[in-house]
Amino acid sequence: MAKGQNYATLRTGSRIKNSFSMKKNTFKYYYNLIKEFSWADFKLKYYGSILGLFWSFLKPFLMLFILYIVFGLFFKSGIKNFHIYLLLGIAIWNFFADGTKAGLQTIASKKNIMQNVKISPLAVVTSAIWHSFWTFIITLVVFFIIFFASGLTLGVNVVFLLYFVFLLLIFVLGTSFLITPLHMKFRDFEHIWDVLIQMLFWLSPIVYAEKLVSSSYLKWYMLNPLSRIVVDMRNIVIYQFLPEPKQIVITTVLVLTIFFVGLHIFKKHGRALLENL
Amino acid sequence: MIKIKNLSKIYRIPHERKNTLFETILGYIKKQMDLETFYALKNINLEIKGGEIVGLIGKNGSGKTTLLKILAGIILPSGGSFDLKGEVAPFLSLGIGFHQELTAKENLYLYGAILGIPQQKIKQSLNQIFDFAGVKRFQDMKLKNFSSGMQARLAFSMIIQTDPDILLIDEIFAVGDKDFQPKCISYFKKHKENGKTVIFASHDLQIIKEYCDRVILLHNGKVLMFDQPEEVLKRYREI
Repeated sequence: MAKGQNYATLRTGSRIKNSFSMKKNTFKYYYNLIKEFSWADFKLKYYGSILGLFWSFLKPFLMLFILYIVFGLFFKSGIKNFHIYLLLGIAIWNFFADGTKAGLQTIASKKNIMQNVKISPLAVVTSAIWHSFWTFIITLVVFFIIFFASGLTLGVNVVFLLYFVFLLLIFVLGTSFLITPLHMKFRDFEHIWDVLIQMLFWLSPIVYAEKLVSSSYLKWYMLNPLSRIVVDMRNIVIYQFLPEPKQIVITTVLVLTIFFVGLHIFKKHGRALLENL
Repeated sequence: MIKIKNLSKIYRIPHERKNTLFETILGYIKKQMDLETFYALKNINLEIKGGEIVGLIGKNGSGKTTLLKILAGIILPSGGSFDLKGEVAPFLSLGIGFHQELTAKENLYLYGAILGIPQQKIKQSLNQIFDFAGVKRFQDMKLKNFSSGMQARLAFSMIIQTDPDILLIDEIFAVGDKDFQPKCISYFKKHKENGKTVIFASHDLQIIKEYCDRVILLHNGKVLMFDQPEEVLKRYREI
């Protein structure tokens, strides 16, 4: 490309270039692209709806309501501040479920744009997840309002929450990059993913505590990055203690592995699959 | 400058398309993988200099759009290579790909992001873009209410904002009206004077004859001729 630019300036001589486009393949370019696309998504999603934005936040709280009734009142989970415990788990799972699903759906809704414009499909998928991410952040804000209203306090370790929020984002992105090519190849993958997400919900310590899992299975159970993130975030926010460094490293390695494998597969097959969509 | 070497694009057309996982598994069991290979482009060799307006003609399905899409980087070639010196506009099918449910202005911001123009800069040149496209009154109207000609004009006005070194245009004169055509042509000429390249596909032979330096004739995915307009047009009428 550098050679090309030289050529262009050579040909045009000393003419002042009146174009003002940013350099592509820079962080700024992609950030702007992702931002504009999620903003467009946002506008499209809420055109002509009364409650608009409110719908996005309603979902986790409706889930909290029913799960609290079943597992807090009927089954008597015995966990202290169960509504707080539950809401954090639901918020995390909801971001994972919504984010990955939005990533899949964006393939169909942005198919036209991606097949006619040179645009990185990676950025399009990321922008769909970016939207879910902000919903998650606002859900977290509401969570903390309820948290303090319940008379709980935060420890110093809460700064590590930022790290786990970041890790969760990377995990959702990585999972999306991994499954989106599958969705491009097989159109019924969305239904399969719906079922898998439900399975993951029950395989993660969202409505119950991981301590209930029999120790012979626990080793396998904790290989699920979602379980690890839920447990670690709860430890930091609710129980005010930091997970062991070794455990944090394992979580990070698991998440990064999924992310880079996903990125590699998406980059390798995404474009070709998109053409045949 | 554009150098194209042995460029091919193959589409495999399955006689029974398998869209779902279930159908694929079924297909493997039945072992029916009959695919027909179709060459949309076959061994294209071209060399285009900077400062040229090149016309691209051929019947429907001859590979014009495929060639432009490959050069724009929208689709990948199946074989061969091409070398582009300079920046290429990232879209060519005017109107297609715009978001129908968003307003014209919102679409421009979206396209600005794809082209790499910061929002502020678009805001500054918004009037200029709408003026060139001649749709200023409708800037807050949803795009689905625009006519195809208006959409094409808007898209073209947006592309030229980035002033790309290589401009690839697919069928602009089919939808643009009489007022818009001279605007495009004068832009092409200015572009050419700056040593940049324009390649445009069109069925309007009059315009091709009048303004192109050289013309590519595609037929069934192959380059039949690449020469002065008169001779190529003569050949085109024969096939």
